[in-house]
Amino acid sequence: MENTESVLPQVCKIIHIPEKPSFLPHLQPTVNMFASVIEPKDANTLVRKLNKIAPLENLQHVKRVQRKSIDGGKPQLSLLLCMIVGNDGGDDCMPYEILELVKSYQLSTFITKVCKYAATSKEEWDEQCKLWPTSYHPPTYNISGITGFSEEESQSVFSFMRHTINLATSSIGQVVNAAVIVDPSTKQVIASACDQVISSASLANGVSKEGSCSNYLENLKASNLDQQTSLLDGSISEFKPITNNVACVHPWQWALRSSGCWHPLRHAAIVAIEYSAARDLQLFPDHKALSPLKRQKIEESGFHSNGHSYQSLRPYLCTGYDIYLAWEPCAMCAMALVHQRVRRIFFSSPNSIAGALGSVHRLQGERSLNHHYAVFRVVLPEEVFRNKVVDGKASGSG
Amino acid sequence: MTSYVKETFEFMKLALEQANDALANLEVPVGCVFVEDGEVIASGRNRTTETRNATRHAEMEAIDFLVQQWQKNGLSPLEVSERFSKCTLYVTCEPCIMCAAALSYLGIKEAYYGCANDKFGGCGSVLSLHTSNSNLPTSELASSKKGFKCTGGIMASEAVSLLRSFYEQGNPNGISLSP
Repeated sequence: MENTESVLPQVCKIIHIPEKPSFLPHLQPTVNMFASVIEPKDANTLVRKLNKIAPLENLQHVKRVQRKSIDGGKPQLSLLLCMIVGNDGGDDCMPYEILELVKSYQLSTFITKVCKYAATSKEEWDEQCKLWPTSYHPPTYNISGITGFSEEESQSVFSFMRHTINLATSSIGQVVNAAVIVDPSTKQVIASACDQVISSASLANGVSKEGSCSNYLENLKASNLDQQTSLLDGSISEFKPITNNVACVHPWQWALRSSGCWHPLRHAAIVAIEYSAARDLQLFPDHKALSPLKRQKIEESGFHSNGHSYQSLRPYLCTGYDIYLAWEPCAMCAMALVHQRVRRIFFSSPNSIAGALGSVHRLQGERSLNHHYAVFRVVLPEEVFRNKVVDGKASGSG
Repeated sequence: MTSYVKETFEFMKLALEQANDALANLEVPVGCVFVEDGEVIASGRNRTTETRNATRHAEMEAIDFLVQQWQKNGLSPLEVSERFSKCTLYVTCEPCIMCAAALSYLGIKEAYYGCANDKFGGCGSVLSLHTSNSNLPTSELASSKKGFKCTGGIMASEAVSLLRSFYEQGNPNGISLSP
């Protein structure tokens, strides 16, 4: 699952965080099921009956029938009956209707393992079919990056992440979370913000000015070089950033802050979304609100009426935008980014206490949600954090 | 349904009024009220279209009002937290994952909702963020993550019919709120 770019410094990596926990192909979770060899002539009837009384709920990827060739081409059919609910695996764990079928068709049952989750790769699928046949649907959507980043894209991702970490660590010697919303097609920063949960952590953030950010990319490239040279200093492993003030890591602790509380829910991502919405209103003030249904129809048909040609320039919410976060967002922020239709999320540090993109929850894998973003972890040298925090402390105490 | 006290329905009716106001303004019709000691202290309704900010749900609107109000009155973070711990939320639709997480961070006492939210619900439908999480490190548990009591199905059909008329582009003014 790692999309690493080999020409980059080894410490920089972009790791795709998939919709479900990743397993080695041969170590995928399985469930035990009752199965039976059947007469080919009974297959249709049995499948129809079983689909009614024991549908393969949550196992839609699993095939009901297994076909094997034995004794030189003679086909043998086996059929999945039902999941095993008890531990002992005896016939008494079978539902009554299944037992009836077993009796009337004189089935001799056996226990087989089937893979619990649908395969996400050809390799996984090959392993699954060794246990019991499943179906495999390659991802129907492809968000840029899932299949890898070009050198240029990677450099841009690292630059924006460094910028984000600079924001997160430049706040009076404290580490907070920072969020930077970027239009990847123009490499323009749409909005950026830090946590505003405690007032002392506030920064002079705002709606980004329209215009070029090339200078700032130049600066990022320069600082990139600095960081590479400072890697020689050798104290990388000892450093752990202090996360006490990172809102997404400690979302329940806002009330224990001694400093004046600004707002318990003003996490960086929430504030950045607010800024990007404000920017949208500012740039397109006259745009008439369309109902979601109507807008959806327009989007689907690709039709833009003549009178609103500028509409095509104006993205719906954050459609097509990326967001960079220093820390993996909490459930509130991760869901806010679903609502605002962000296309890709890049975060730097995992959040084992409250992270919702793989650590505690995994919103990108909740199929019921109406929007799905791709999630990546960007690994940068810890020096990026360390230097900034040390600098911040020095200036804060002086 | 009869087991709920009359005031539960009275407060939910006020939340439905908020939702109706959202509908009249071409917003997704969800509304809520916050109640402390039997008194409505804040109300809110969806404002996502107007603000172009899809996170401006009814709950967020009401919460922002309360935080601002309490800060204006000079309450400390601890005092704000104490006030939230006495609050009951009445909302016409099950809080989404974002709002359920927010309510858990704030540490409210209880929530009543109308219809369930099968696609986004954070109080049992998709995730259960209202229940206390014993997997948390003890340092986090100590800081008030007790979870909050959550009851659904209060005047759900009224809430659903408002949503239905929004998505079917029906007449925004023709909605009856009688239970």
